[in-house]
Amino acid sequence: MLAAQCRYGNMLMALPPNASGHSLNPARQPTPPNIRGLLLMVIMLRTALTLALLVPALASAAEPDAKQVEFFENKIRPVLVEHCYKCHSAEVEKAKKLKGGLRLDSREALLKGGDTGAAIVPGKPAEGTLLLSLKYDGDVQMPPKGKLPDAVIKDFEKWIADGAIDPRAEKAAVATGGIDLEKGKQFWAFQVPKEPTVPKVAGSNASTNPIDAFVRAKWEEKGLTPAPIADPRTLLRRAYLDLIGLPPTPEQVDAFLADQSPNAFAKVVDELLASPQHGEKWARHWLDVARYAEDQAHTFGVKPKSQAWRYRDWVITALNSDMPFDRFVKLQIAGDMLPDAPEDPFLKHAGLGFLGLGAEYYKNTAREQAIAEELDDRVDTLTRGFLGITVACARCHDHKFDPIPTRDYYSIAGIYMGTAMSDAPLAPAAVMKEFTDAQKKVKTAEDNLKKAQKDAKDKPADKTLSAKAKELADEVAELKKKMPPQPAVAHVVSGNGPGMKVYVRGNPATKGEDAPKGFLQVLPCEATAGEKFTRLDLANAIATPANPLTTRVIVNRVWAWHFGRGIVATPDNFGSLGERPTHPELLDWLAVNFVKNGWSLKWLHRQILLSAAYQLQSTPSAENDKIDAANVYLWRGQRRRLDIEQWRDSLLAVSGTLDATIGGPTFNLKDAGVNRRTVYAKVSRHELDGLLRLFDFPDANVTAAKRTVTTVPQQQLFALNSEFMASQAKAFAARVEKLGKTDAERITAAYRLAFGRSPQSREVELAERFLQLPPKTDDKLTRWQQYAQVLLASNELMYVD
Amino acid sequence: MLPISRRELLARSGTGLGVLGLAGLIADEAKAEAKNSSNPLAPKIAHFPAKAKHVIHLFMNGAPSQVDTFDPKPELTKQHGKQPPGANLKTERKTGALFKSPFAFKKCGQAGIEVSEIFPEIGKCIDDICVIRSMHTNIPNHEPGLLLMTCGNTQAIRPSMGSWLTYGLGTENQNLPGFVVMCPGKPVVGPALWNNSFLPGVFQGCHIQNLDPKRVIEHIRNTNLSSGTQREQLDLLNQLNGIHKDRRAGDDQLDARIQSLEIAYRMQTDAQEAFDVTREPLKVREAYGKGYFADACLASRRLVERGVRMVQVFYGSGQPWDDHGDVEKGHRNKAKDSDKAISALLRDLKQSGLLDETLVLWGGEFGRTPTSEGQNGRDHNNHGFCVWLAGGGVKGGMTYGATDEFGFAAVENKVHVHDLHATILHLMGIDHEKLTYRYSGRDFRLTDVHGTVVKDILK
Repeated sequence: MLAAQCRYGNMLMALPPNASGHSLNPARQPTPPNIRGLLLMVIMLRTALTLALLVPALASAAEPDAKQVEFFENKIRPVLVEHCYKCHSAEVEKAKKLKGGLRLDSREALLKGGDTGAAIVPGKPAEGTLLLSLKYDGDVQMPPKGKLPDAVIKDFEKWIADGAIDPRAEKAAVATGGIDLEKGKQFWAFQVPKEPTVPKVAGSNASTNPIDAFVRAKWEEKGLTPAPIADPRTLLRRAYLDLIGLPPTPEQVDAFLADQSPNAFAKVVDELLASPQHGEKWARHWLDVARYAEDQAHTFGVKPKSQAWRYRDWVITALNSDMPFDRFVKLQIAGDMLPDAPEDPFLKHAGLGFLGLGAEYYKNTAREQAIAEELDDRVDTLTRGFLGITVACARCHDHKFDPIPTRDYYSIAGIYMGTAMSDAPLAPAAVMKEFTDAQKKVKTAEDNLKKAQKDAKDKPADKTLSAKAKELADEVAELKKKMPPQPAVAHVVSGNGPGMKVYVRGNPATKGEDAPKGFLQVLPCEATAGEKFTRLDLANAIATPANPLTTRVIVNRVWAWHFGRGIVATPDNFGSLGERPTHPELLDWLAVNFVKNGWSLKWLHRQILLSAAYQLQSTPSAENDKIDAANVYLWRGQRRRLDIEQWRDSLLAVSGTLDATIGGPTFNLKDAGVNRRTVYAKVSRHELDGLLRLFDFPDANVTAAKRTVTTVPQQQLFALNSEFMASQAKAFAARVEKLGKTDAERITAAYRLAFGRSPQSREVELAERFLQLPPKTDDKLTRWQQYAQVLLASNELMYVD
Repeated sequence: MLPISRRELLARSGTGLGVLGLAGLIADEAKAEAKNSSNPLAPKIAHFPAKAKHVIHLFMNGAPSQVDTFDPKPELTKQHGKQPPGANLKTERKTGALFKSPFAFKKCGQAGIEVSEIFPEIGKCIDDICVIRSMHTNIPNHEPGLLLMTCGNTQAIRPSMGSWLTYGLGTENQNLPGFVVMCPGKPVVGPALWNNSFLPGVFQGCHIQNLDPKRVIEHIRNTNLSSGTQREQLDLLNQLNGIHKDRRAGDDQLDARIQSLEIAYRMQTDAQEAFDVTREPLKVREAYGKGYFADACLASRRLVERGVRMVQVFYGSGQPWDDHGDVEKGHRNKAKDSDKAISALLRDLKQSGLLDETLVLWGGEFGRTPTSEGQNGRDHNNHGFCVWLAGGGVKGGMTYGATDEFGFAAVENKVHVHDLHATILHLMGIDHEKLTYRYSGRDFRLTDVHGTVVKDILK
């Protein structure tokens, strides 16, 4: 049963519907009316679906037989694997346990048949033994455990009648299967990015910031007119929320407006990038990718990761110090093995939490399967996270769309097979020793106590025994009191795996050929695959400009976190089923220059923020909408709802309650009065905090490339009814009260704090009218507090233009 | 499958109804995002006309024994105390000799289906029930078993069925959550059982631990302001949001939030009212009996009546049906506690006509061994177990499939959990192979690469 299991579903289902046989492509076959209707709707709904964009995905399906191959993969192969291979495959033949001399694991074998003749005759379902046995019509009735459902038997009949198309090579699960690696390397994403020529286009800033040259070139090509540059207030709020996750204070707004120098905005950007709050904001983006959490989803046998937060702090530290991204990668994969690793044990080890805090599954009965799932989590997080490629698709079969043979999956998985989830000490040896010694002492004293208690119980008459027990109990208590605090540790993956064999069809019970430890064959790698390949070799193969994916993937992620959409709109899938870049030359320019600038993320942020493309107003245009309603070509800014971290942190900042302490253990969002930044809140795989969940925080069981944005009433119940909002409203009202003598003055102060602007007369009028309403005795909030809550709950605070 | 005409589709889309799996059809997860501003929980058109509109899953967590409930085994009684002939199938722990059911079975209903004496009232409803006696699952441990039954996968990495249903079909009452989970405390595994996983967070089950209407949904009540004041406050918020929006014309997301605030305001009263079982006539309350499970059954009816798409009731915290020891006492007590409420729910639904459009599922995450564990208990058993379905387009008064003579393993018309899921989706008007979600470049489904609809039990 496990054999056919695939964490990612059948790859056929992975095909977009247009390419999977139920064709959406009007050119290929008559389209039924309902589909046509859908198509029309899709266009009408302005979902930005352009038929042109469907083409790349269609290309792979347009080859002859593709449909039949899909039918085979979808309907036939899984059945053969699940119900037949156990007795009819090369594997059992090797073990001399083949039944009936019949193998069903290749086309040749089926044609040749077994002891009773050919299993199938393509095109002639009535001939051959296979169908007869499946139907339970002949002497041989297969599978022996019970007749398969009629629908399945009909599938076989259809498959044979259609010519029994069968793509399986003679050897099952061979090294590269049918994959042509040389051909695979031709795909754009596997070509090393080369520095493109910056287009020469007229327009402001184009001469200074190449980003604008590329973006402007697309506007011209598509006939789009860009929106004007946003006004200074809008721009400032955007930059603050974007770079440090907090809104500017009224003083910061005033200072910026007063600064008439041409580089006023650049100065602000530099200040924000230098602020320690920048790391707090941007670490969270990476933590989404790293599916960071402090526990496991299930209940039984879970080992607590009490210092998981050290990995979070490591990411914050790394980003604040602008650690070169290649080093950032290497320390997370092989910090313990790097020849030039930092001396500080925290910097050296804590990054290993990237995988060290990964999923650990319940291993009671199906132990091997659970271990296979853990390996899958690592391969998946590692390859999608750093490389933007879905290697985990190749776990049960060669990747159907990208040049990744099954063996490659196990080459990487094998690096981690047999490694340990362990704790690396971060404190000096003496401190560690002091702690373990103290632990031992407690243990010994406890053992003595137990013995003494037993003795006292056995001989209740002997008072000396009970006195001794009491004495020992006091000693235990004393020792426990004296215990030094638990020294710092990092939760890491340690050791190096011995490598593994391919699990045929992903099933740990059916092992295939050796998969020497190594890297993806389609990508360059200096180290040779084999026994000596380590995590360090893996890290080196990823963190190098020779790798065509790593740099593109990270610059694209950062771009997407700034703009809400990547140049490649699928940040964790640069494969053939992913999106193609909207600005391929720009992507390459960024990737190449990122390396030239020392893999500096702060360089990248600065380059992006200082572009005109980043600074546009978010106003719509009916004309542009006709061409590009989804703003793929960045002709305007994109209004966005704040994510939960930005929103909650803004509420605290505006109310004046924010506790700006950096780093340290996590806090529970349910604890009243803890007003630390949201990045420090506990993240649980088992039960994610309700507030985080409500506002689209991703499930920490899998790597997340982007967050969905939903608007649901339960969010608004939080805004209207939660004690958190009420307490912030009280604090905000109290803060504002001191800032003016009249309601009008205070209203102005509140607007400046909350929105960085003065209120308009209509807004003052509405506020005053509300504040003058008579108070009601049942209400526990004053009118001013109620009003403060309104401002905090408003759209203006929750969205950024 | 009845094709929906283009005209109909467009007409319905004009009324704000979306189309199921549109995200999948758009063929691109990035572009699917453009739809985000519209309400993801708005009702959607099914693939084909649905038999059922709602699901109530009565989850007997811990796993009841099939041979003591709905799968009588005379041969087991005859050979009581003997070692099972052939191999003793591998389960979680080692078990001993064949161990007969301590309960008598009675022929029930016109169909004459045998039901254990511990479920006398459910027995009376048997003509509306289809017992599937040939269920099987992958692993005889609670966590993977529970996850497979709820999410179609043995690890906590997939969305639950309720999430899939609300993603595919939306829900009919926007003032209530579309997917409600009731359990006092938490079942083993916990929230992953109603997790949205990679689906958007709105599709997560809303877990209700406490049935007190004032506490059902987090922040459902404003404890600081009178309702009159809250209305004044919300009016002001609407006015300020209106001014803000007017300066930013043509942005759906701002409108969506303004509407959402109003829905939240209504939800405060509607949700409290929906969960308030004390509003039911005394006669009705008495029919269901007392306690959390009885109240949850009654609340389930009130919820589907109000358009909630899926309700999942876990029998209790932890894994109450897990009778490794003294299966007689354990099963008798739990049956006694639930028999009345479950039968009342079925009768109640039937009487109002709701049973026709509500699919009720009863069962655990796997079954138990016909062999004994210890003196008088039973171990986990993934090889064979039973569940039952009622209403929602399923034939009543029938049994489907069979286990072997002792009730160890399913042998005839085997139904895997994936097949059960495929069948439930089918009854809800969904082709389980087409309800997909594009995530990480691939389309996922509840049934993974498996699942065959059990056609024989459909009306």
